[in-house]
Amino acid sequence: MERRKTILICDDEPALRELIRASMDDGYEFAEASDGVIAMQLAQEVDPDVVILDLMLPRLSGLEVLARLNEDERLRNVPVLVITAWNETREDVLAAGADDFVTKPFDPEDLRSAVNRLVAA
Amino acid sequence: MSRPGGRTVSLRDRMLLASIALAAIVVGVFVATILAVSAARTATKQEARSKNLSVQALRLEKLVFDVENGVRGYAFTRDPRFLDPYDKARDALPAQQKTFTALAEDQPLQARRARDIDSNITTYIDDFTEPVVKFSNRRAAELAWDSEGRRQAALIHRRFAQFILAENILSANRERSADSKSEHAIELGVVGLTGSAILILLFAIYLARGIARPVREAAAGAGQVAGGDLSIRLSQKGPGEVGELTKSFNEMATRLEATHSELEEQNAQLRESERLKSDLVNTVSHELRTPLSGVLGFTKLLLTREFDAETRRHYLGIVDAQARRLSDLLDDFLDVRRIEEGRFERARELVDMATLLEEEAQLYRQQSPKHEVAIEIDHPPLAVIGNPDRLRQVIGNLISNAIKYSPQGGVVAVSADRENGSVRVEVRDEGMGIPLTQQSKIFTKFFRGDAAASGITGTGLGLAVSRDIVESHGGRIGFTSAEGKGTTFFVELPGANGVKDRQGHDDDQS
Repeated sequence: MERRKTILICDDEPALRELIRASMDDGYEFAEASDGVIAMQLAQEVDPDVVILDLMLPRLSGLEVLARLNEDERLRNVPVLVITAWNETREDVLAAGADDFVTKPFDPEDLRSAVNRLVAA
Repeated sequence: MSRPGGRTVSLRDRMLLASIALAAIVVGVFVATILAVSAARTATKQEARSKNLSVQALRLEKLVFDVENGVRGYAFTRDPRFLDPYDKARDALPAQQKTFTALAEDQPLQARRARDIDSNITTYIDDFTEPVVKFSNRRAAELAWDSEGRRQAALIHRRFAQFILAENILSANRERSADSKSEHAIELGVVGLTGSAILILLFAIYLARGIARPVREAAAGAGQVAGGDLSIRLSQKGPGEVGELTKSFNEMATRLEATHSELEEQNAQLRESERLKSDLVNTVSHELRTPLSGVLGFTKLLLTREFDAETRRHYLGIVDAQARRLSDLLDDFLDVRRIEEGRFERARELVDMATLLEEEAQLYRQQSPKHEVAIEIDHPPLAVIGNPDRLRQVIGNLISNAIKYSPQGGVVAVSADRENGSVRVEVRDEGMGIPLTQQSKIFTKFFRGDAAASGITGTGLGLAVSRDIVESHGGRIGFTSAEGKGTTFFVELPGANGVKDRQGHDDDQS
């Protein structure tokens, strides 16, 4: 039996972190960060299988986190799913290094299947 | 140029006067020249007449000589041959005498001399020569002739000599006078023409400098204004209408410039307000989408999956909280509308700020576990007159800001006390502080500073709304802040118990 997959959830809103957790299938481990600095620390610590990243984060913005993840030798290949309230196009976010993209308000089912796809890939 | 009465001579009148003066001067010069030339001509004529008079005098004297010689020869010889030239001279004499005296008329002294000569000749002829010729008494004739005749003839010759001498002097004088007069005429002509030419030149320069140049400058200025340069001003020199033209031009340019800068200012304000509105759209988009995600997401989960009762209740609680947040946001926006339209609830009651602060502190303590919301109230109760919901909104906004702008966590200290009849509330945080450059703007609607970039949520309305509420309660709101060290906001409201000094709250720090 392989080890359980870990999802790093980066969002400053506790209610949304809980929603994301509740949306996922059983069998995942979760790490949660409420700002960009904590997100980077946790990413180093837990070596996540997927990162779910809100672009609007205190202290270190989501785009900044995305850039630092891409600079990191070890974390470069971790798939990142971006959540945003802004009207960026899919292309902009994907060009910034994200692997997938959902817009607030999102359907929990869409988020679940998107994460499953990223984990399976 | 203005006259003592303040009236200005119109340009048309100036031109007319200048032209008339110029014409008068030219005509004067011309007339003077003509007069001088005519004087010269008269002098020349007199000179010619004088010469002619001398000639006539000599001719008359020759006739007298002829008479004299004829009568003498006849008297001695009795030869009638001598009477031949005598008779001829006698015949010619009267006409010559008349010519001579007539010519001499124009000069009184010479005229008298001529008349003397004339009468001497007549007497000589009548009294001596005629008797000699007519009577045959030769002896008597001889005697008469020898004594009186000679004397008279000599007198006539002497007078002729005198006359011609005088006439020569006169003639010389006249010649000199004619010369000087023609010289004078030439001088006058040259000086007058030169003077007129200079005056015409001055007039042309006056036209060019006084009128043509200002007009040209005005035309160039108008061109520049048309090209958009409104700072151009003309020098306000120039006579009459030209001066008015440049003056009006400058007034026009000044007014245009003022209007222009006013419009630009309004335009800038509009652009700024447009920018704030566009920021607002983004902000609203984000602020609404986050709670909406919670509401829709948990609702979908509750509808599609099975949960135990406790989990269901928990999720419903989140949905409820997020829905309330949406509702509060809408209230904020509506408050802005109310402020803009100037209608805030005026319902007032007695409010104890001590209790209100306790309740709000408790509420936020639950929301942020990272922060320690401390409260210190020295002399409860702290009564004010006001709208409890609005005052709660202000305090909630200040505490919520203190938490948001100190993302590392830390102490948020709420304190309140009486001060000079007012109630003073302070909310202090240990957060990032407000940069000096933004301190003047933080009460501006929709202004959020660096908050968006730092990921701090908000609409940029809280402080603007708070200030309006506080001011509508007759109080004031302010802050002190040090970047990197934290911010302290204060609110002062007129106290309701022991209202002694309503103005006293103005002398505090800000």
